[in-house]
Amino acid sequence: MNVFTFLFRTLRGRIAQPSGHPQSRTPAKRGSSDVLSMQHVLDEFRDCADLTHRSFPEIQVHLVYFSFLSDPDKLDRDVIRPLRGVTREEVPRLLRETQFQAVTDRKQLIEGILKGQTALFYRDEPYLVDVLGPKERSIGQSETETVITGPHDAFNENAGSNLSLIRKRVRSSHLKVVKLSVGEVAKNDVYVLYIDGIVNPIYVQKIIERVRQIEVDAITDTSMLIQYIDDSPLSIFPQFLTSERPDAIASKLVSGRVIGMMDGSPSAFSAPTSLFEFFTSSDDYYQRWLLGTGTRLLRFVAFGITVTFTALYVAVATYHYEMIPANLLPTFVESRSRVPFPPVYEALLMETTIELLREAGARLPTKIGQTIGIVGGIVIGQAAVQAGFTSNILIIAVASSAIASFVIPSYVMSASIRLVRFGLILLAGLWGNFGLAIGLAFVVIHLSGLTSLGASFISPLAPLQFKDWKDTFIRAPFKMLKERPEQTEALNPVRMKTRK
Amino acid sequence: MKARKLALLLLPLAALCGCGQQRVLERLGFININSYDLLPDGQLKMVAFIPKITGEGDSQTGESSSGQTGNVQMSGQTSGEVLTTTAHSSKEARMIQSRQTNWELVSGQLRNTLFGISVAKQGLWPYVDTLIRDPTISPRLKLSIVDGEAGDMLNKNYPQHPGVGRYIDRLLEKEIQDQGIPRVLLYDFERDYFDDGLDPVMPILKDAGDNVEISGIALFRDDKYVARIDSKDGVLLHMLRGKTRNGEINIEAPDGGKGLSHAMLSSLASNRKFKVGKDAAGRISVRITLDVEASVLEYMGELKIGDDRQRAKLEALIAESLKDRAENLIDLMRKNRADGIGAGTAVRNHIGYAAWKNMNWREEWAGAKITVHVKMKINNFGKFR
Repeated sequence: MNVFTFLFRTLRGRIAQPSGHPQSRTPAKRGSSDVLSMQHVLDEFRDCADLTHRSFPEIQVHLVYFSFLSDPDKLDRDVIRPLRGVTREEVPRLLRETQFQAVTDRKQLIEGILKGQTALFYRDEPYLVDVLGPKERSIGQSETETVITGPHDAFNENAGSNLSLIRKRVRSSHLKVVKLSVGEVAKNDVYVLYIDGIVNPIYVQKIIERVRQIEVDAITDTSMLIQYIDDSPLSIFPQFLTSERPDAIASKLVSGRVIGMMDGSPSAFSAPTSLFEFFTSSDDYYQRWLLGTGTRLLRFVAFGITVTFTALYVAVATYHYEMIPANLLPTFVESRSRVPFPPVYEALLMETTIELLREAGARLPTKIGQTIGIVGGIVIGQAAVQAGFTSNILIIAVASSAIASFVIPSYVMSASIRLVRFGLILLAGLWGNFGLAIGLAFVVIHLSGLTSLGASFISPLAPLQFKDWKDTFIRAPFKMLKERPEQTEALNPVRMKTRK
Repeated sequence: MKARKLALLLLPLAALCGCGQQRVLERLGFININSYDLLPDGQLKMVAFIPKITGEGDSQTGESSSGQTGNVQMSGQTSGEVLTTTAHSSKEARMIQSRQTNWELVSGQLRNTLFGISVAKQGLWPYVDTLIRDPTISPRLKLSIVDGEAGDMLNKNYPQHPGVGRYIDRLLEKEIQDQGIPRVLLYDFERDYFDDGLDPVMPILKDAGDNVEISGIALFRDDKYVARIDSKDGVLLHMLRGKTRNGEINIEAPDGGKGLSHAMLSSLASNRKFKVGKDAAGRISVRITLDVEASVLEYMGELKIGDDRQRAKLEALIAESLKDRAENLIDLMRKNRADGIGAGTAVRNHIGYAAWKNMNWREEWAGAKITVHVKMKINNFGKFR
């Protein structure tokens, strides 16, 4: 147990020193007493080759900025051209224009430059001008979460445009955005979004607190961030839902969840999350309710298949020949009879091959990735069986559980489930169906123990909330979805007015 | 904390226990059907049939790793291994049999058990008891009696049919579906055997040259074979034993003046009811009501089934014929002191347990007044009036 606690502590470095530190990041008062001379700024940024320093000696104005972070057109229009057109006497009048913000705080000045603002020094009085314009990926389609109907836009790496995508969907002054910063060196912006009046403030507080407690050099993506702030970092399952679809995130917002975003990351996370949210897709809502219900149930079936099918094959082929229907028995035995390995090795071999294929396909460019699929398909489907490496029934089992695993909309969740499968195969090889049952029991026990921001992870199942089932296991007609999920403990649980 | 340590200690132990019981598929010999016969010297002759389904080293299967599995199945099934032994008990026979083969013999795929008529006359319970006790044997195992030597049926090759086990299994399965014979699984036999006031029945198979045929249904007194009824009365027995859905029966009625010569009742549905009472002398009387609905698609006679009044007459004639046949059937049972229709259970429920305990039902059954009433309704007579 001590080893576990140790690991736990190391992984959640933030717990080790719980107090005192958050304040250090807030701007301190000493800033005003600092010297704000340009020389100090240049000292601060020495050896930064990408820093540009331009001076206009006749009017005693100096510009300091990162040229790659700013938009050259904007800079030219808002700063350079006006400066060219004025005489020395006119400069103070020009600097009263609104785009020039006088700065008194040294920290603010440095951070502004780092963000891409241009610092302007007039007789050692600093001003900041907003000419941000770093290169960014345009808003495109989501690669990992595609839908057939419904909006196709997805978040990109720029928090500003991501926020705009949300604002466009939730046009309410109650949508609040809290800005935090994370990473001692990298200082990445983290935005926490919630809808005032719906969300339970406890969850907002918890998120903000946990983000503030992180003390690490840099965090580069939301998926990384959530591993710092989730309830059980050692668990195999993700405890916050991440999505790069603004429509999905907007719907999580209005259902009373807290949303987290990071500058530089194309995905947002929502909390608290229940396990079953990983099995839903925006498409469920865009299609008619019966179709949505059908696909949703299909995903749960897929979950069952992907977790148990191969393990069941191993259990049956090793221990429980009684379970095979008489009509299947000849084919089954015939296909097994040429295989030199025990079923459990055979299954692990094939599962590993499939995982290799998947990983190779994921890392390669799309064009080569397709080749991998074809090569793998032929090698696995034909050659392995012909060479007597595996039985064709196992191929069916492995292939269908691989396909079923891709049905689950969340890639992170589907990967976790695939990992669980390996454990179950081993257990099935050891103890047959008995082992499979033990393994599944462990999974269920583990899942029931998980929490997401302190709320139960298997929410409508335990604590039992039958009324939430109609938007969990099925997708009932909208007429019936009158309340927000119980898990969010929303201040205002009613989402639809009941007409009399 | 302690519990976790304990669990960690126990887990490997459990793992070690599991290793002995592995039954890897390709090393097994699946007994598909087996049979019991009693030899004149009192020994048991046991025959087991193992369909040969693996093509190890067979050049044919080597080529057909993909696509031709159907072919393999057929060619693999035609031959099977027949193991014959004589022993004192069935488990001893199993031990001897396993010395005769390279497969590890398992009975988890056992679908049928045949009893020679010699065993059936002696009493089946000791054998059925063994079958029930073995946890690998399914309670859905079908039991049947063979008119003659059961072992001979397994030793014989039926050229048109792949594997005698599958052949007999499908034959029985189909007949049970059509309700021509009662369903007698291991479970049913066990239940009927222990049920007070109900005796088991069992289909009888007969070797008919190139085929196997169902030649009748055996009546039991407890676990001993006492009499048989003809297979054409199979549906009738089914109707008398309980609810029937989708049966088929052929009626040959005596000429009732106008003349009914032949009618085929199909899609037959019937309900049976017992009404227990006492006659004037104080003896138990049982009134059996059969509520029958059927469609007549084939009728050869003088009545017009399109005509409502004449059809009513036909219904009465059919009811009369069914009633006669049912009473004959019951008389046969009564003569043999076997209650194959479960009238005793109705009596037991009626008179209470204490009175039932004091009564010798078999004797009462032979003497009681049993009447059969048939309510017949033709609900459909085809698409031609």
